[in-house]
Amino acid sequence: MPDKNSFMLEAKDIEKILPHRYPFLLIDKILSIENSASAKDGSSSGGKKIVALKNVTMNEAQFLGHFPGNPIMPGVLIVEAMAQAAAVLFLEAIDSNLRSQYTFVLGAIKDFRFLSPVYPGDQLIIEIEVLKLIKQSGIVKGSALVSGKKAAEGQLFFGTIKKDE
Amino acid sequence: MLTELSIENELKSLISEIAEVELNKVNCDASLTKDLGVDSMRALELLAALEKKYKIEIAEEDLPKLDKLGTVVELVKKYLAEKS
Repeated sequence: MPDKNSFMLEAKDIEKILPHRYPFLLIDKILSIENSASAKDGSSSGGKKIVALKNVTMNEAQFLGHFPGNPIMPGVLIVEAMAQAAAVLFLEAIDSNLRSQYTFVLGAIKDFRFLSPVYPGDQLIIEIEVLKLIKQSGIVKGSALVSGKKAAEGQLFFGTIKKDE
Repeated sequence: MLTELSIENELKSLISEIAEVELNKVNCDASLTKDLGVDSMRALELLAALEKKYKIEIAEEDLPKLDKLGTVVELVKKYLAEKS
């Protein structure tokens, strides 16, 4: 696992890549990106990896209702954080001109398991690996860990939609 | 060596699993997109499943060919022949 004190991208860099903003930007830092297997056209059958970090704090809106007096990070937000890490991996690899024309969106969620609850104060380490990437869509597998223990794992499918001019 | 029939049967059950349709609906004439409801995400899933199952790498321009059982069989056979 990469050193948490060394990182590749911090929040202000992530905002240049992802369109998400408060209260829905669910990635705080990118610890490492491996893009070694990228082909010229950006297509790939694996090899690309990203490790991202998300600090879960009691100060987040979801804990007002999920659940009062018993705060647990909603599983869907763990999925969303993993999807955002994957989106950084995809978007970082493509030309910034193309990046401004398309939005990466979730197309399918497959074989997801939530293995242990995530609480305020936990630090989520999100590891994403590309299984297949073609120009307009991709599949990744990933996991979210707290203190080295897997909290969630599964596969995510992405497509792109063209932004309105 | 896989026979043509065994590849066809394997692909038939793979497509039925990914498209979530009954096995008997996957026949040679059925279009995956028009008749079996395979959208772009399921097509991508099929592509990745084929690559994993047969240890081949399918070019992106071959993706539109994954539209009928017959053409999927042909495509897999072509890549397997190139591999050996």
